[in-house]
Amino acid sequence: MTKDPKNRATEDTGNGMTRRRMLSWFSGFGLFGSLIITALSNLIFIKPRATYGQPNRFSIGKPEDFPSGARVSLDTRRVCVVRDGDKIAAISTTCTHLGCIVSVSETGFSCPCHGSRYDQDGNVTGGPAPKALPWFDVRLAPNGELEIDKDTEIEQGSYLRV
Amino acid sequence: MNTQMKSGPWKTLVGLPQNVWGSIFRNPLPSSDLGRASTSFTNFFLHLHPVKVHRNSLRATYTLGLGLISFFLFFILVVTGILLMFYYVPSTTQAYDRMLDLRGTVAFGIFLRNMHRWSAHGMVAAVFLHMCRVFLTGSYKPPREFNWVLGVLLLLVTLFMSFTGYLLPWDQLAFWAITVGTSIASYAPLIGKQVKFILLGDTTVGQEALLRFYVLHVAVLPAVLPLLAALHFWRIRKDGGLSRPAEEDALSADMPAAQVEIVKGPPVVMATSAAAAAAAEPVLQKRHYGIQGLVRGPFTKIGNVPDRSVFAWPNLFMAELVVFLITVAGVLTVSLFFNAPLEEPVNVMHPPNPAKAPWYFLGLQEQVSYSAFWGGVGIPTVEVLLLLIVPYIDRKIAGVGRWFARERLLANFLFLSFVIVNVILIIIGTFFRGPNWEFVSPW
Repeated sequence: MTKDPKNRATEDTGNGMTRRRMLSWFSGFGLFGSLIITALSNLIFIKPRATYGQPNRFSIGKPEDFPSGARVSLDTRRVCVVRDGDKIAAISTTCTHLGCIVSVSETGFSCPCHGSRYDQDGNVTGGPAPKALPWFDVRLAPNGELEIDKDTEIEQGSYLRV
Repeated sequence: MNTQMKSGPWKTLVGLPQNVWGSIFRNPLPSSDLGRASTSFTNFFLHLHPVKVHRNSLRATYTLGLGLISFFLFFILVVTGILLMFYYVPSTTQAYDRMLDLRGTVAFGIFLRNMHRWSAHGMVAAVFLHMCRVFLTGSYKPPREFNWVLGVLLLLVTLFMSFTGYLLPWDQLAFWAITVGTSIASYAPLIGKQVKFILLGDTTVGQEALLRFYVLHVAVLPAVLPLLAALHFWRIRKDGGLSRPAEEDALSADMPAAQVEIVKGPPVVMATSAAAAAAAEPVLQKRHYGIQGLVRGPFTKIGNVPDRSVFAWPNLFMAELVVFLITVAGVLTVSLFFNAPLEEPVNVMHPPNPAKAPWYFLGLQEQVSYSAFWGGVGIPTVEVLLLLIVPYIDRKIAGVGRWFARERLLANFLFLSFVIVNVILIIIGTFFRGPNWEFVSPW
């Protein structure tokens, strides 16, 4: 009765949640949440949905262009096309260490930057490279051309049979 | 009546220069202490400074002017950078040609590029040396912990500024240094691949990466860095000016102002000779304070301390001017004699062997050649975290304000080991690494 009614909302009753405190919590969550949503949407904005550089999915020509035993390194595509009999695979030529281009050598692949070496299948045989060169999905497109999809890594040793 | 009509406009006309000048500069060149104080206080560009500054802050052998040098180099970088922007195009087909144009056709083009490149290298070095100065004088201790944190952030932003600028000439060095650098980022757990993709805007370094690095280099980071620098400068004031030995303020210790005048010789509590000298200084008393005297916190003490401060005008401003002139002269001299390197245009098929990053990242690259994750992500992250947390671990207020204080032997030893190891790694990476990153002798 003697208390000032204006102060009732701010009274700390100890354990109870006053209306004012409740509302300030909600406002706080709202403001903080908006901040997070803003930051996230900026992040989504700067992550490109389409890239303007080289497509990650491209055609490399007919299977006949690659005779058996061929190991053709397509430097601009950063991929090495390997054909063994009727089996075709595409191995990445981007060094798994720091992204230099590995060159095809007698024993497999070797990197000029920090001296990483790989065997014919892309397994690490020396140098600082932490893991094997990935294999990319190869499929035969309806027009009879080979298509490589660098977004899809496949298990080492899984060949396309033509 | 006639004379009145004449004198009105005439007076206005005669007084015009004086009135205009006086409306801009409220104070004449100061000849009194009051004038010196209000000159610093009322000028927009000068009021960042205190009206009075402690003598210790002006000792060149204490600060080596490294913070100022860093700032002035940044100023030179902004000016030359804006000028270079008039001729640069962030396009993979044009960027390199524009570099050649700067050499060949643009008036002073090569000189401006030299100034920009060498100031950038100088700024990385100056900021790092400034950090060493602050550590070795114990200046990160309370109440200056957070300003140290801001300083570490400024070092990181400076490095990132330099890294983003490295790609812009679009020569072989640029392309492969950024290829290697962003690949290091992709080793970060969980977010590494995403960070690299967002940074490059693509899976490899190309047009998108060039545009992104350009925007970061000329817009985003130049906005972030001055903001952090402004906070850094503001905190210097709010944390009580530059750090100084406790003896400099010794008289304030538990000493009521009334007793101060009795103290003629050194009191018992203060045994050092510096304290004795301090005690002999005239002590200010019976001063009247405005609102500034009421503010609380770790501010410069007013009143019951020996007044060992001098007016910022002209002492501090002259010192700053001298440092500025030395910095500009240094950059001009280096830019006259050494041209900024420009290698062959980008060839995405053939990395140069070895592909080396800028010198300040070669320590990192040397570490990376042992283990990409630990050398490129693990150890640097631990180092940065340690730097950030150091003022919250090492909190003893002893040996603050002196170079290589005996009380701080362990801390200084650990920090110097960190510095020396990194310098050695940089030297190995720079001079002792050849093709395939194999060990070579520079002789």
